[in-house]
Amino acid sequence: MNNYNIYKPLKAKLVEVIEESPTIKSFVLEPERDFSFATGQFIELTLNGTGEAPFTPSSSPLVKDRIEITIMKAGYVTEKIHRLMPGEIMGIRGPYGRGYPVDEFLGKEILILGGGCGFAPLRSLLYNLEAEKEKLRKVTFCYGSKNPAECIYEPYIDNLRSIDKFEVYRTVDKPDKTWTENVGVVTMLLDKVKVNTEDSVAVVCGPPVMMKFGVKKLLETGYSDTQIYLSMEKNMSCGLGKCGHCMMGEYFVCKDGPVFRYDEIKDQPDIWK
Amino acid sequence: MGKMHVISMSQWRTVILQLAPSFSFYAPVAFNSSQDYELIGSHNTDDIIYNHPKPSTPLKTFFLPVKENVTLDIPGKKQTIIMGAPACDLAALDILDEMYLNRDYTDMYYQSRRDNTIIAGYDCHSVLENCHCTSCGVNPFPEKNMDLILTRLDEWIYIQGFSAKGDALMDKIREYGDSPQAGRNENGFARIEEIRSSVRATLTDKNNKLPDYRSSGPLIGRSGHRIWQSYASTCVSCGACATSCPTCSCFLLIDRPGFEKVRQLDACQYPGFERVAGGEDPLGELPARFKNRYLCKYVWKPLKFKSVACTGCGRCIDTCIGNISKNDLLEELAHEDRIKTPTG
Repeated sequence: MNNYNIYKPLKAKLVEVIEESPTIKSFVLEPERDFSFATGQFIELTLNGTGEAPFTPSSSPLVKDRIEITIMKAGYVTEKIHRLMPGEIMGIRGPYGRGYPVDEFLGKEILILGGGCGFAPLRSLLYNLEAEKEKLRKVTFCYGSKNPAECIYEPYIDNLRSIDKFEVYRTVDKPDKTWTENVGVVTMLLDKVKVNTEDSVAVVCGPPVMMKFGVKKLLETGYSDTQIYLSMEKNMSCGLGKCGHCMMGEYFVCKDGPVFRYDEIKDQPDIWK
Repeated sequence: MGKMHVISMSQWRTVILQLAPSFSFYAPVAFNSSQDYELIGSHNTDDIIYNHPKPSTPLKTFFLPVKENVTLDIPGKKQTIIMGAPACDLAALDILDEMYLNRDYTDMYYQSRRDNTIIAGYDCHSVLENCHCTSCGVNPFPEKNMDLILTRLDEWIYIQGFSAKGDALMDKIREYGDSPQAGRNENGFARIEEIRSSVRATLTDKNNKLPDYRSSGPLIGRSGHRIWQSYASTCVSCGACATSCPTCSCFLLIDRPGFEKVRQLDACQYPGFERVAGGEDPLGELPARFKNRYLCKYVWKPLKFKSVACTGCGRCIDTCIGNISKNDLLEELAHEDRIKTPTG
């Protein structure tokens, strides 16, 4: 009989808490043994005795001894996680699902559209792409946030801007006096950036409404259904394709996703809800 | 087919009493107008019901308990015998096995219970109001997932083995009760076949207006909004349809201190089933939740699994406090569809 218990989490020590914005924090964890994941896959993070929630790591998939999870304060579990201090022991199950098909992206031009905390999985992807930059044509990263204070990963943005082949554009809905970049919704950036839709892919991650309009804009820009990749947010609970909470039409988002090509899911019901 | 055996009812009662202490032995007994599985001992051996559909509790509950800690070690325990599983429930094990014995993520609790249980199926010798197994391609007698088939004819019990586990139990049964004279076997088994044909014919006839549930997905896919609003109007989201369904197995994971997790049976009919922390809730509206169960069973699961997700037990209709009949709904859908897309 199989002796591996799929429900038992791996213990991980919280070693650092980084305040990214008033509502978003990153939690750096050291798992009790090396932990591998592919960029875009997600984990179930357990707060002992309280609950479990799905997150896509925001750290590089090439690093095995530390894992970073960026979490927005949004519900019961995340509010409690936000109160944690380093030293806490947490639990990790996974990794689960299908991540970004990075191998298929190689040799192509990549447009990445991120919104709010949707930057988290994209940062992991960007780390991965950076490691493969010799095999890429160009990476254009467009990021939108509510206001300058909610723009996360400030130091990383500076680093990204200095990398050859990588371009970064940011926008906020409501600027303050210090903001020198774009103002408006993230889709607006697509009118400003120069992209070649031939032999290229677009990746979108953010709140559902941003993804909905992001996809619409990408299709108008000339990308086809098969060139657009989305990371879907549903109520993934078991991560194993059994509990049923993340069903999106014929798919279990936890097992068949969370990364989908738009043509795979465009006819499923309620994908933006 | 494996071994065959026939013993008298009086001997069979002795056999049960001999077996009961060494196993957790469950069989259906009568309660008012219904029946359900009970742990069998000397106090209720005479109350066991034979060949009458169907226990109120679906068979799944033996393998996926309503609530279970899934992070503790599996305790060593007595082998379980479940007597009286109807064919609809046995057929339902196909999709549960596909989900829980999945090669990537085998559920060790489900697997342990499946391995540790001997199932004796019953032929159904009568038909209840909402039985419709034949519309799902399931016959009213066990054809899969059983270790034995047990049939009572008059004062005799006919037993057939269908697996190594079943044959091993048969050997024990032989030890405790001898076989009657030759000849009874042949006549008895011929009669069993006659009853099978007759019950199947009754079911097919009774449900002749129902569509074939194995291919009713497109029918549901083409359906308009009105019928779901109408049928959902008396639904109170109690989830009894899913709880009593032999294939519905959605669950919730509840956290306990010590990184323990408790799996609890859940249902897509409960509010908040798909709600995420950000507030989005695809099944927030009751008619959407109500329709979701039909989409899941007849449209999506068939695309995902080899096995059917409805085996026609009819419990969802039996248990519905809103008096919603899935069969009426499907019949109406098929009728509307015929009007919309006339053929010939």
